[in-house]
This record gives sequence, C-alpha cells and structure tokens, in this order.
Amino acid sequence: MIPTHYFLILSAILFTIGVCGVLTRRNGITIFMSIELMVNAVNLTFLAYARQFHQLHGMIFVFFVMAIAAAEAAVGLAIFLSLFHHRETIDVDEANLMHW
Amino acid sequence: MAFDTTDIVLSLLKIAIVVGALLQVTPIMVWVERRGSALIQDRVGPNRIGPFGLIQSFADALKFVLKEDFTPAGANKWLFTIAPMFGLIPALTTIAVVPWGRPFLIPEAILYEHVSTIGWTLALALLFLGGGVAFSTVRVSSRGGASKLNVAVGWLVGAALILGGLAVILSLAGLKAVDAIRIPGGNRIFEPIVADLNVGLLLVFALASMGVYGIVMAGWASNNKFSLFGGIRASAQMISYELALSLAAVSALLVAGSLRLTDVVWKQTGYFVIFDTVKLPAWNVFSPVMWIAFVVFVIAAFAETNRLPFDFAEAEAELVAGYHTEYSSMKFALFFMSEYIAMATMSALIVTLFLGGWDIPWYHEPPTFFGFLLSALAFVVKVTFMLFVFVWVRWTIPRLKYDILMKAGWKVFLPLALVNLIIVALAIAKGWI
Amino acid sequence: MLEFIVFFVFAAIAVIFALAVILHRNPVVGALSLVASFFALAVMYVLLEAPFLAVLQIIVYAGAIMVLFLFVIMLLNLQHAREENTRPIQQFLGYTGSAAFGLGLVYYIAKYAALQLPNGPFNADARAVGVELFQAYIFPFEMVSILLLAAIVGALLLSGRLPSKVRAADGEGAR
Repeated sequence: MIPTHYFLILSAILFTIGVCGVLTRRNGITIFMSIELMVNAVNLTFLAYARQFHQLHGMIFVFFVMAIAAAEAAVGLAIFLSLFHHRETIDVDEANLMHW
Repeated sequence: MAFDTTDIVLSLLKIAIVVGALLQVTPIMVWVERRGSALIQDRVGPNRIGPFGLIQSFADALKFVLKEDFTPAGANKWLFTIAPMFGLIPALTTIAVVPWGRPFLIPEAILYEHVSTIGWTLALALLFLGGGVAFSTVRVSSRGGASKLNVAVGWLVGAALILGGLAVILSLAGLKAVDAIRIPGGNRIFEPIVADLNVGLLLVFALASMGVYGIVMAGWASNNKFSLFGGIRASAQMISYELALSLAAVSALLVAGSLRLTDVVWKQTGYFVIFDTVKLPAWNVFSPVMWIAFVVFVIAAFAETNRLPFDFAEAEAELVAGYHTEYSSMKFALFFMSEYIAMATMSALIVTLFLGGWDIPWYHEPPTFFGFLLSALAFVVKVTFMLFVFVWVRWTIPRLKYDILMKAGWKVFLPLALVNLIIVALAIAKGWI
Repeated sequence: MLEFIVFFVFAAIAVIFALAVILHRNPVVGALSLVASFFALAVMYVLLEAPFLAVLQIIVYAGAIMVLFLFVIMLLNLQHAREENTRPIQQFLGYTGSAAFGLGLVYYIAKYAALQLPNGPFNADARAVGVELFQAYIFPFEMVSILLLAAIVGALLLSGRLPSKVRAADGEGAR
C-alpha cells in the first residue's frame, strides 16, 4: 500500500505546475486548463485523505468538485467564445474593457 | 490480493481469446458487409478470391500493407500518426468487462489436459486449413486462369496457416517441456471475463468517451477542412448520443442492482412466466418496462459507432471520407479495424445488457466445460446476429440529415431514455419487477 | 512492489504531461496533454481504492470537459494564433515564485504529513458513495443540479444564437 504523503507530494507538484501556468501564460484557454489542473491536484488530495481516514466525505467532495468543474468549463468556455467574437483573440490582456 | 501462476496463465488465455476473436471480426465483417450489401442490392459481390470471396479480406489486408504510408504536407505528423492508435485502443479494451460465457469449475489438475486438447485441435485445424488452401492454390495455378495476386494470396494464406499450426504445436511442446501448465490448484472457477470489475459498465462508457479523441485528433492533424468537419461532426454526435446510451443502460443496471456486467447477465437467466403458460426468458428486452430502453440503446449504438444511418463523420457524399480522408495504408486500415471492432463491442454490450448475455433460453447450462462451451457459443451467435443487424440497417436505411440527427438525439432519445428510467425506477420501487 | 512501480510510472506521466500543458505553445497539444495527465490521475484514484471516482474522472474530465476544450480550440482556429510571451518580469516572478511555493509545499508535506498507513482496506464502491450522497448530502446534491442548470442557461446565453424575439426583448443587454 502506497503511503498517503506520496500522493500529497504528487498533488503538490501538479498544483504548483497549475499555478505556474496561470502566472506565466497569456492564452486564456491555457490558463483555464491550468486551473483545471489545480482542481485535479486538490481532488487527489481529497481522495488521499479519504483513504487515510476511511471517510467517504472526501469522495463526496470530489464528486461535487467534478460537477462544479463541468459547470465552470461550460460557462468559462462560453465566455472565451464571446470574447473571441468581440476581440478576435483570447489573450487575457486584451480583455480590458472593465479595466480602469 | 493473492494470485498464482494459474491465475496469470488463465488471464493471459482469456486476453488472447478475446483479442484474437476481436481481431478476426474485421476481415469477416468486411466480407459480410460486401456480400450482404450485394445480397440486398441484388448484385454478386466479391467472389473471385477463395470460395465465395472469403479470402478477399486477406487480399485487402495485404494491399493495405503494401501501399505507401503517406503523410500530407502541413499535417501535424506526431498527432497524425498516433490518432489511429488512439482510435483502436478504446475499441479493443472495452470488451474486457463483458462476460462471454457461463463460469465453470475447473476440476483438479486437469487444466493441462484442457489446454493441450484445445491446442491440438487448433493446431490440426490450422494445418488442415492451410494444407487445403495451399492445395487448391496449386490446383488453380496449374490450370492457369488465376491472377498473380490470387496465387500469391493463396500461397501466403496457406503458408501463414501452416506456420500458425506449427507454432501452436511448438508452443505446446515448449509448455510441456517447462511444465508450465501442470500447476497445482485446479478446483477453481473459471470466469469467462477478462476483468470482472465492480464498475464494469461505467468503464465501458469511460472508454467509449475516449474513442472520440482518435477521431478528433485525426480530423485536426490532417490539416484538411473535410477531415476537420468529419472530426467535429463525429465528436459532437458521439457526445450527444452517449447520454442517451448511458441512460438506457442505467435502466438495465437498475434492474440488476449492480454495475457489474456479470450480475446483469445472471439477473437475466431466469424466466418471466405469463398466465402460468408461457415461459419467456427473463431477458431485459422482454421486460415490459425495458424494451424502450432497448430501442433507444440500439439506436444510440448506431450513432455511437458512426454507422449508417448516422455516419456523418465520413458521409462520402458531403465530406469525401470525413476524418480519414488523408489517411492511407495501414493507418487507414487501423481506422477501419476500430470501426468494426467498436461495432462488435457495441453488439456484445447490447447482447449483455438486453439479450441475456450468454444465457440460452429454456435450457439450464450445466456448470461444466460443456456448459461453458454452449453458453459461449450462444453469446457468439447473438453477437453475430447483432452484427448482421448493423449491416442490414446500413444497406436499408438512407442517411439522415445532420441537424435531424442532433435534434433527435437531444429532443427525442434523451427524454425517452429519461422517462423510461423513471418508469423502471418506479417499477422497482413498487416491486413490480 | 507492483503498486509502487505503477505509482511512479503514472506519477511521472502526470507530471510530464502537466508540464507540457503549461510549456507547449500549441493549445491543441496542451489540451491533449492535459487529457493524458488526467488519465494518469485516474490511475492514482484506482491506487487510492476509489475505482468509482477513477472512472468518473475519465468520463467527466477526459471524456466531457476536455472534449469541450478541444472543440472550442478547433472552433476558434487557435492553433495558428501566435501567443506572445508575458512580460519578462512576470515570467521571472511566475516561475521562481511558483517553484518556491512548490518546494515549500513538498518540504512541509514530507516533514509533517508523513502519516501512518491506514489499516485495512477501505470499502468505497459505487454503492457506498451513492448511499452517502443521497442520505447525508442530498441538499448539496440538489443545489449542484440547480447550479448545472444555471451553467447551461449561462453558456447558451453567452455563446448561443438566440431567437431574434428573445434578443429584442433583451434590449440593451444584447450584443
């Protein structure tokens, strides 16, 4: 049986990669994918602790996270589609209409 | 989880049987499709190579291997190459969770005898077939009037069969020499299923949803607008119909009360007795609340495998050949194979979920090797029938319009499956079934 | 032993493909890499004795969400769009900052979260999760279904072609 902290470290690495992607990229869809990566890293942590403490709550939470990620992807991609229709780009720096 | 050598040998055997059977589906189905379409359209069809053109598919395969493997300029080379593999892998792996026979008890220390009996039978059959093919090739070529390709294919097939037979004999001898099969611990139950998972059906859907990627990647990597349209249409279609497919399958799961496909089959081995006179097998199709699910499932299966009347991914009148327009040689053959293997897997799923799996109606299979053989045969017969239905429908019904397909998926089949699911759930809650 | 091999192989796959997501310029390759990474994570879930969630991960993330991403990328023809680099200072701070963050995270996990192995197998099949979901968590479950409905309506409103009547009634809000 693999110790829990192995999974936690893997999750930390993936989360860091996701953070790095959000901080260094301009392409809105890549940033969005990085966010999905972070969400998945957190899911892994939930499941690791669920097994560690023999609790189902972590699993239920992962279930909810998946549902919410699906909703988020639908709305987020719709926003990018409409941004592209207006600006012909999905560079997040160009989305500055509400910028003061 | 303890497992010993016997388990490993048995698992490998099961995988070999399943994958071997699936790989045979493509050439046979290509032949059935061509002869079947000829039958329906009152033509003759391929009849030159082999009796009834049976060896035509092998000639086609040979031709595929010999063609130039061409990658168009501007294509994304890497994705273009791995896309056909991505298409094939989900199609091949899905069958792992489908049971294909009645489990039976292996008597003590008799495994070796079984393996050697099967092996010798197989080897003799292969040798006979190969010899027959070679002999008829000699006869035909000495009489003249046969094309060079014909003779070459005849020799190749004959030699391959004979070599296969010799290889089986050699491996049997080798196994006997290292005494690998005479292993202790018979008296175990042989489950004719590669992986009896407790999330079986969900895995099927997971793998089916992975099948989209091969098509999308092929369409996009080809750098051709027809390919791209084919890929986008195929994925939109598969995603839409997957919902109806899953919901129809869920009602079968509700009846069985388990996600395990073996449980689904065991649930269908009983009988429905109507007015104390008629005894119908308890297959899900015959259940009064399940036949809608069956119809929805079959239609969605047609859409899911991109078959006519839903083959918009490769609608040749509109898109040249859809996502595999730019493919040639073995890469194209891989797409071809994955299409037919996906069809076989879908047929196996339909049979398992609705047509009673390996159950033989009005007959109680004994839990022995004989019973296993009979039930496996029943399973193969049912799957063959479903495959024939696929061919039959393809050459009978014309292609729909794309928007009609999407509308039907979302506005007819999905609500139908949902309503049926509610009815089934009510029926189970009230204890009617 | 076998478990550890599986773990390390798939952990490597997950990390390498995750790196490809943030480093590769082509968003199509990025999306496909993310699929591979999610697949490796599903293997992790199997190792964590949660096969149900592993399969859900493949169905929901790899099968639905990522197909949506690919769709949008292909629809917008983004594979040829040049993505300019962010400002050098942002690059520098992003990479060093996240590296420091990651190293700190790994260090503290290795130091403080090295827990005892749980004893005994953990029974978390579909039935157990389902029973828990429909007993203790029924209210959040219904809330999530409402959220999904709202998301559908929102996505349609943002990207869909609405009938002209609705558009006229929408007045100022319409594009």
